[in-house]
Amino acid sequence: MGGQAVNQDDKRALELDFCGMRFATPLVLLSGCVGFGEEYTRVEGFSNRDVGAVCLKGTTLHPRLGNPPHRVTETPMGMLNAIGLQNPGAHHVVREILPRLDFSETRFIANVSGSTVEEYVEVTRIFDDSPIDAMEINISCPNVKEGGVQFGNDPAMSARVVEACRAVTDKPLITKLSPNQTDIAENARRCIEAGTDAFAVINTLTGMAIDVEQRTPIIGNNQGGLSGPAIKPIAVLKVHQVYQVCRAHGVPIIGQGGVCSAEDALEFLIAGATAVGVGTGLFYDPLLCPKINAGIAAYLKRHGLSEVGQLTGTLRLNGQTVCA
Amino acid sequence: MTHRDTLLVEEGEILGHQAHPGEQFILRLKAPRIAQRARAGSFVHIECHPLLPMRRPLSIMRAEPAAGWIELLYRAFGAGTRLLSAHGAGTRLSLIGPIGRPFAPHPERPRALLLGGGVGIPPMIFLAEEMRRRGGYSPLVLMGSEVPFPFTTRPSQILVSGIPEGTIAAMPLMDDWGIPSRLSSLQGYPGCFHGYVTDLARRWLAALTPAQRGEVEIFACGPHPMLEAAARLARDYALPCQVSLEEFMACAVGGCAGCTVRILTADGPAMKRVCVDGPVFDAATVVF
Ligand SMILES: Cc1cc2nc3c(=O)[nH]c(=O)nc-3n(C[C@H](O)[C@H](O)[C@H](O)COP(=O)(O)O)c2cc1C
Ligand code: FES
Repeated sequence: MGGQAVNQDDKRALELDFCGMRFATPLVLLSGCVGFGEEYTRVEGFSNRDVGAVCLKGTTLHPRLGNPPHRVTETPMGMLNAIGLQNPGAHHVVREILPRLDFSETRFIANVSGSTVEEYVEVTRIFDDSPIDAMEINISCPNVKEGGVQFGNDPAMSARVVEACRAVTDKPLITKLSPNQTDIAENARRCIEAGTDAFAVINTLTGMAIDVEQRTPIIGNNQGGLSGPAIKPIAVLKVHQVYQVCRAHGVPIIGQGGVCSAEDALEFLIAGATAVGVGTGLFYDPLLCPKINAGIAAYLKRHGLSEVGQLTGTLRLNGQTVCA
Repeated sequence: MTHRDTLLVEEGEILGHQAHPGEQFILRLKAPRIAQRARAGSFVHIECHPLLPMRRPLSIMRAEPAAGWIELLYRAFGAGTRLLSAHGAGTRLSLIGPIGRPFAPHPERPRALLLGGGVGIPPMIFLAEEMRRRGGYSPLVLMGSEVPFPFTTRPSQILVSGIPEGTIAAMPLMDDWGIPSRLSSLQGYPGCFHGYVTDLARRWLAALTPAQRGEVEIFACGPHPMLEAAARLARDYALPCQVSLEEFMACAVGGCAGCTVRILTADGPAMKRVCVDGPVFDAATVVF
């Protein structure tokens, strides 16, 4: 699977509509993994045209320096990160960075972060008055002291943030859900009521790695967010669970967590995702996206499907098994 | 954006892989495109094993554009580098490179003092070779190591004033290039200066005339305490100093902000990425 070039028919088959936005392919580059949209274009052969959208780094109202080192470390089949939302602040992003992005190549999505409901609203308002295509509400960042995952793990608080942001923008709002909570489906239900247009499922899981010689956590922030292939089965199940709530409302999902191949992406689509995020997988292979596109296109052809959207939520569950 | 297409993804074929004492390895890879663009201070992000989720950043020790190879020196002390050390000739490994802002020597300061400590030695060898190719520089290379040096040391044929008597061990390759080098260690290796590489550097600097010192620029790569000492040395003698920093990395292309260090800028302290804003920084701006 993968490798071969994508022809015109394949290209059409990979296109999709996401909350009124036209995505050239079902792939989305994930927040925090590709800076503010242009960093990976350093790599020869990489193109933002290979993805439907690019999510920019989490952005707060005021600039943040982020966490002390180490900020990343490898773990079995994954990695921990605690960047601490390093960003230059929403005004700087809108004034200095957005004008330099090439909007003819892909759709750009802002990642709205904050410590208070008011901050989320203010950042949403700033991006509403900008060329950005959509906003992702990051109520699931595990690496900051206030806000973030504190909001995301409480369905009532999640809904409050979504409702307040909804009130100040008509652009598509994507709520990014945390896997670090008991009932993700209940949270999704409340966020739909509060007016979200879509979901991103999932953000990182909290974790820790310890240097046994020093007896200290390896990550400067002590704990971090786990991403990469290690979290994929958890992410696929969460997408499946959220999809059960979304299906009736036509609310699409960007499935994500450990995608490194076309098979991985297909799992998410079948589980209920409309688009699929690629983050940590890019760190190993910066040229991963065209390979995944080609693999999905080949799969669609092999299964007689003319559009990638026909795959979403086509999971056929096994019958009830007997437990003694 | 001006930085577009500056980094290459290239399959490197292992041409040679030598083991040295202290779990040190010299890896030569055929990678003609990266060899062509590599500069002293730049590094590659290398696949160590397909079953590992992350690559490892390793600095380039030498690049031979005509022959199309690059050479890396690394210590196998973690899961990734240990798996890397098992690969033999013919194995192909994916490389991203050459990454990072290289050393930028000032021609008006031809007395370049190159300080390399442990796994920080490779970029200094590259810089020495670059200065030799460019001409106009008279570098002195001082290297420190607490494990045996990854080459057979030999008494230097090149005299250097200001170096303590008995400190005669050198790197043969440097001697062959006509570049003076001296070695230091706390392990009592024969012919090596007993002490830190920065102590040896201080002795040499102290013996220079003020006019000679005015032509010195310091370049350093190595463990944090060594770089801090190099920065102090530069401050004491009011010399410019460029240091190459290391930090854990995920993407190595500027996307994740995982590799940042604290740097003083005109606008106050900032977190700069070692991979693309560095790895070489002005020592006076680094918050150690
Ligand atoms: C280094 C790093 C930084 C991240 N920063 C953010 C962020 O700023 N905002 C956010 O919503 N998610 C952030 N994430 C989470 C990713 O967007 C993604 O949801 C998660 O990593 C799972 O996907 P993956 O396994 O493909 O990386 C970050 C992840 C990584 C690895
Ligand atoms: S390692 Fe990702 S920005 Fe440097």
